[in-house]
Amino acid sequence: MSASTKMPRSSAPKPRPRELPQTDGRESGKATSPPEKTRRAASTPFLLDFVPLQAPDQTRLAQFYERLKEGHLSTTRCRNCGAIHWPPRVACPDCHAEDLEWIDLPSTGRIYAFSAVLAGAPLGMESEVPFAVGLVDLEGAPLRVFGRIDGRPWNELKIGDTVRVESLTLPDGRVFYRFHTPE
Amino acid sequence: MSAVRKVAIVAGATTPFGVRPTTWSEMAQEVGAALFRAEPELRSEDVDSLFVGAAEPERFAFQTHVAPLAAEQMGLAPHRIIQRTELACASGQSAIRSAYAAIAAGLSDVAVAVGIEKMNLPSMAEANTAMGCVMDRAWDGPHGATAPPFFAMVAQRHMLEYGTTEEQMAAVSAKNHRFANTNPHAQFYSKTFDTAKLARLPMVAPPLRLGDCSSMTDGAAAVVLAAEDHVSRYTDAPAWIRGSGQYSDFHNLAHAGSLTDWKGLTRATHEALASAKLTIHDIDVAELHDCFSISEIVEYEAMGWCPPGAGGKFALDGRSDIGGDVVVNPRGGLLGCGHPLGATGIAQAVEIFQQLSHDVPPARQAPDPRYGLVHNLSGSANVHSIMIYEGGGAG
Ligand SMILES: [Zn+2]
Repeated sequence: MSASTKMPRSSAPKPRPRELPQTDGRESGKATSPPEKTRRAASTPFLLDFVPLQAPDQTRLAQFYERLKEGHLSTTRCRNCGAIHWPPRVACPDCHAEDLEWIDLPSTGRIYAFSAVLAGAPLGMESEVPFAVGLVDLEGAPLRVFGRIDGRPWNELKIGDTVRVESLTLPDGRVFYRFHTPE
Repeated sequence: MSAVRKVAIVAGATTPFGVRPTTWSEMAQEVGAALFRAEPELRSEDVDSLFVGAAEPERFAFQTHVAPLAAEQMGLAPHRIIQRTELACASGQSAIRSAYAAIAAGLSDVAVAVGIEKMNLPSMAEANTAMGCVMDRAWDGPHGATAPPFFAMVAQRHMLEYGTTEEQMAAVSAKNHRFANTNPHAQFYSKTFDTAKLARLPMVAPPLRLGDCSSMTDGAAAVVLAAEDHVSRYTDAPAWIRGSGQYSDFHNLAHAGSLTDWKGLTRATHEALASAKLTIHDIDVAELHDCFSISEIVEYEAMGWCPPGAGGKFALDGRSDIGGDVVVNPRGGLLGCGHPLGATGIAQAVEIFQQLSHDVPPARQAPDPRYGLVHNLSGSANVHSIMIYEGGGAG
């Protein structure tokens, strides 16, 4: 990894925030309505919910989620050795320094490999089946990132396809990133 | 290494594997009874230490502190070392490795390594959530990552880079299911799958079909390990531990690197073979971690039985079958037996113990095996764990 890799925030087109599909979390395929959204957010126990807690009093990586809310995928870079990490960290695995800075990442990348979940989804994701996931090489950054690929159905994806980063907002205000095929 | 004691497996037993109408604790009792039945010379007071391989009892059975629970259920009262080992899909081998280390170091004389996993729950989505926890929950989990899509990407890249085919992957699954038909404890003992039938099964995670994937399985297995001067009390056909190797490669899916070149497995294999002073071609029978059909294909390559890219043909040509270069997964593999995470590595060791003493049905007996190998991977091929055994009076 190069210390000189720079990815100024202005260089990346801004991904558009979008809402996560609403799911009840327990009953597959059930139609949802606005009152159920809030119920799901309030009732999914933390230990059965993969989306991390994001507030500054819950994680030292809160800035990742703050930047994601503004539409930017970001990560940490080590001020001591220049290593760029993915996912973001609080200590550098290369030199063990704790002096890290935030940098924004490119918002597009190319699919290195992908598959789809056609059965066997975890709680809260059953109604999203089938969904595609893949490893994406970010454009112009030395990073490969795993994520959901929304947009075109899985059987219309190809290795090498360009996808862009998207920010998704949960009903309770938490955010997470996904990839999306071009429209 | 020097001044360590020799260690052997002297007894082993498994429960039936499958979708079982029973609980975690009941399976602990069941495997304890099976172990004492399998080795009439074994007495509870002989067992000074207990290592319990259990991947996710918190998730699947809402139970932690499982080592003393297993001891109580099995009718054991260990007084030297008692602990659980957790290494996801390799939790069982991890228990054996810990028992081996303890005995070799002189801290234990006779130890039991048991693996127990209850995976089938009323809600499959809840069980799948448990499987998702094996990944990096904060970064891979929210996308819906579990094992099938990861190994599907391995298969996709292997097909792209080397021309591996669905037919070659089905050849692995058909072989292991055929062996499972000789194993009454296998989940798919009474179900037959040939390559034509496998090709008609639905896709789970493309390009992997249902028959390319191991199952959610309930089961338990146990072995007794003994120091060299305690072995002859139990058996004249022990399986001596000759070597071992392990390598932790990565965890977050983004760090998998080449999906088709499992460098961590190559390193663990070299470590294990060097410690045993053997080459891979000395191995007569191997239990490889076929959590997915593509896994076994990549394992032939990374472990050195064939060049990179030739694993699919290796399977299709029968070189991993009886009469080939090495007999792979005669127990039925994870594909045919099912994969109760903590029990798998122990059940594989039981198979090698029985293969080396010619104590399996003729239809799956490797011809006069001297050396046997067990490989487990865990998670998304994050860690590779290998142990090598030698049969007979070689101690
Ligand atoms: Zn650093």
